[in-house]
Amino acid sequence: MPAVQETIDQVRKIDVDQYKYGFETEIEMDKAPKGLNEDIIRLISAKKDEPEWMLEWRLGAFRRWMTLEEPKWARVQYPEIDFQDIHYYAAPKSTPGPTSLDEVDPELLRTYEKLGIPLREQEILAGVQKPAASELEEANDNVYKSGRVAVDAVFDSVSVVTTFKKELAQAGVIFCSISEAIREHPELVKKYLGSVVPTTDNYYATLNSAVFTDGSFVFVPKGVRCPMELSTYFRINEKGTGQFERTLIIAEEGSYVSYLEGCTAPQRDENQLHAAVVELIALDDAEIKYSTVQNWYPGDAEGKGGIYNFVTKRGDCRGDRSKISWTQVETGSAITWKYPSCILRGDDSQGEFYSIAVSNGYQQIDSGTKMIHLGKNTTSRVISKGIAAGFSQNTYRGQISAHRKATNARNFTNCDSLLIGDQCGAHTVPYIEAKNSTAQFEHEATTSKISEDQKFYVMQRGIPEEEAIALIVNGFVKDVIQELPMEFAVEAQKLIGISLEGSVG
Amino acid sequence: MNMHAIPQRTSAETALIDAFGERLSLLPGDGEIMVRRDEAIERLKAGLPTKRVESWHYTDLRRLLTAVPQYDGSAKAEVLSPILEGSAVLPVLNGVAATNKLPTLDGVTIQPLAEKLADGSFAAAALDLYGNDDAVGALNTAFVADGYFVDIAAGTELATPLELQNVQAGGQTHVRFPVRIGKGARVTVLERQAGEGTALASSVSQLLVGDDAEVLWLIEQEQADTATHLAQFKASLGKNAKLTLFVMNTGGKLVRQEIIVDAAGEGSVFTLRGVNLLAGDTHTDVTMVLDHSVPHTTSTEVVRYVITDKAQGVFQGRINVAQKAQKTDAKMACNTLLLSDDGEFSVKPELEIFADDVQCGHGATVTEINHDHLFYLMARGVDEKTARGLLVKAFVAEVIEELEDEALVDALEARIETWFATHG
Repeated sequence: MPAVQETIDQVRKIDVDQYKYGFETEIEMDKAPKGLNEDIIRLISAKKDEPEWMLEWRLGAFRRWMTLEEPKWARVQYPEIDFQDIHYYAAPKSTPGPTSLDEVDPELLRTYEKLGIPLREQEILAGVQKPAASELEEANDNVYKSGRVAVDAVFDSVSVVTTFKKELAQAGVIFCSISEAIREHPELVKKYLGSVVPTTDNYYATLNSAVFTDGSFVFVPKGVRCPMELSTYFRINEKGTGQFERTLIIAEEGSYVSYLEGCTAPQRDENQLHAAVVELIALDDAEIKYSTVQNWYPGDAEGKGGIYNFVTKRGDCRGDRSKISWTQVETGSAITWKYPSCILRGDDSQGEFYSIAVSNGYQQIDSGTKMIHLGKNTTSRVISKGIAAGFSQNTYRGQISAHRKATNARNFTNCDSLLIGDQCGAHTVPYIEAKNSTAQFEHEATTSKISEDQKFYVMQRGIPEEEAIALIVNGFVKDVIQELPMEFAVEAQKLIGISLEGSVG
Repeated sequence: MNMHAIPQRTSAETALIDAFGERLSLLPGDGEIMVRRDEAIERLKAGLPTKRVESWHYTDLRRLLTAVPQYDGSAKAEVLSPILEGSAVLPVLNGVAATNKLPTLDGVTIQPLAEKLADGSFAAAALDLYGNDDAVGALNTAFVADGYFVDIAAGTELATPLELQNVQAGGQTHVRFPVRIGKGARVTVLERQAGEGTALASSVSQLLVGDDAEVLWLIEQEQADTATHLAQFKASLGKNAKLTLFVMNTGGKLVRQEIIVDAAGEGSVFTLRGVNLLAGDTHTDVTMVLDHSVPHTTSTEVVRYVITDKAQGVFQGRINVAQKAQKTDAKMACNTLLLSDDGEFSVKPELEIFADDVQCGHGATVTEINHDHLFYLMARGVDEKTARGLLVKAFVAEVIEELEDEALVDALEARIETWFATHG
């Protein structure tokens, strides 16, 4: 593909684009024809060997979707998406259910290796790439003790491999692709799928319900503390495809699970669509920690190409004393439209949202959270750090609401924005709604730039400007980085540095 | 205001459109002014804004405006004694400027707006609407019949405050106060919105604040609890101009007070202070849009709400910082005491920032009375009711006391006392 290569070369030359995951994997693909209609949905359902009820569920969502209009309220601008010009199903040809790593196309494995995903258990046991600094030694120790990660890798439309399955099964934890769950655990899927994000929820969630192709399924039974971190790695590879994954995590009474999600895509000069739905359900005393490092291809320096990321993520603290915590590091995507939310239904339940959103080039981010306080004595905490550079637009949009019966609802929100350069914009749009006199809401937001004093202080110690900025920015986002699991914290810090390169001068 | 989304007119919408037909021949002004009126009524014909219109998200005017009273030419309103003794009062009684009672002041030209609209000397562009969702502006532009045009000459320093008194006696009134404040002038203006009866009142104040001028503008809204009060305050600030706007809402059944300010001159300073005391089954919305359009401008806003009974409070505050408006310093705070379980409060403090070298921030809190504070007082033998009263009063007094004019502080605190005596 000379055209693509040319773009890449051009970008390299001007040394702005630092997207290091921009390679493409050459694998024979099994693709559905472009376009969306009931036949395509039947095809997806058949490919996945799904039961009849699942097909009906999809078709119901599709019919609903046909009646909906694309939402326009977000602060993002993009040309009309042609939903008929997308492949809704693409799978690497060699993957009718691999049972072990040896059966997986070695080309695929190499892709993941390039991405640095610890697919092979022994690699994981070796821990994270050893950070040079000694300050991390102690932290590393912890990683060695607890830091094994089970990975579900999703390539375009299909989950290609899930690791550590056996060990997880011993603990009673189910961790598999959602397609497998639909086949193997239909009663669980039937009970919980769509119970947090109904098929009628919003335009993109409804579309996802109709055409989702894969994703992860996690079930942690009563009283079980999941023995390792669970992780999914998503990658869009095939040209002209959309990725629609669906993740469903259920934590039964008194259980705990920590889940990580990472995303990348190759560099292309066209826009690709990603519309995921994530549903979390926490029953009494359960806790779910969900972390995302989103690094989809953001487009080149002229704003060409990149992923359109329209994601619906919602957690339901259904049980009393349950807790759901979202942590996200958003550095990629041309457009991000994403509001991980918590419905605090159970009494004494807790919701948390920690976010870093970095935009550079022509990226547009409209992201934030919703904390819906329904139960008594519910608390929520929102920390959002937005960093805008280049020509990007970075918006925090959030909603905090306490309903009539939510006595003693408590929220603390802090959203800070940092501007680097005078061509970008940072915006804050919080909605705060109290219908209960015992509610206590605090919200604060600031916008500023890196002060010359701060920069001078760092630079006079011999640190070049770009590094100085990265250092200050990392200080700015520290509160959120601390919430990430160790493996991701290191990656996230590097990623922020990379994303901001070229933003100075 | 979406033509497609509105299938059928509400009775209020129909009443407004019918009223326009009936009133048309009586409305002053023709030519360009008539064109503006027609455009405005077309907007209203497309439907009142619903909560789907972003700037009306928490005040679904289409749903909340259930009835529109008829014009009542026979209703009589009386001039009220001014907030501050000795003020020069410009009364508008039930929608009509009471010209027989006009004061004369050096450096101040006062003309009833009806006259100015009729004689063609009023710049019709002043009636232009603000954006696509300006329902208050549309209502006023379509129907505005009177008010005062006030021109304050450069360098004028008024020893006594001006009080613009808009008194309802029921029915519909639509008034407007265009005020031009010359270079370096220093004035205090009290805008009083009051009255009795079931009224639909729209009122627009529009200010041009000249370079180096200093203005203290106080809006005191004390309408009857049966009145719908839709008001707009628009101001544009010249170089190094200082505008302090103080808004106090203590009345009205359905209130929307819009504040649209453009800090358009370098070095200009805008200060907003607000006290909203809400009770009964009422809805009060204060919506501010503040533009920092040039470098080196400053603004601070502190708005407080006390909400009891079934009252609903709304504050929307948006600060826009243009790309060239470097060195902007903008801070906004909104604090609310929600005292009853049936009360509601919604706040949307927005920042829209396109310049990087700025200091902008906002804070918002919603809470009940601090239990520690209550305990502190009660431990000293103060009974709970009194202790609560003290704390709530202190919460709003903090804002009022920022006004440097002692007589004004006393006058407002007296009004707060009266409110608490009835609603506390």
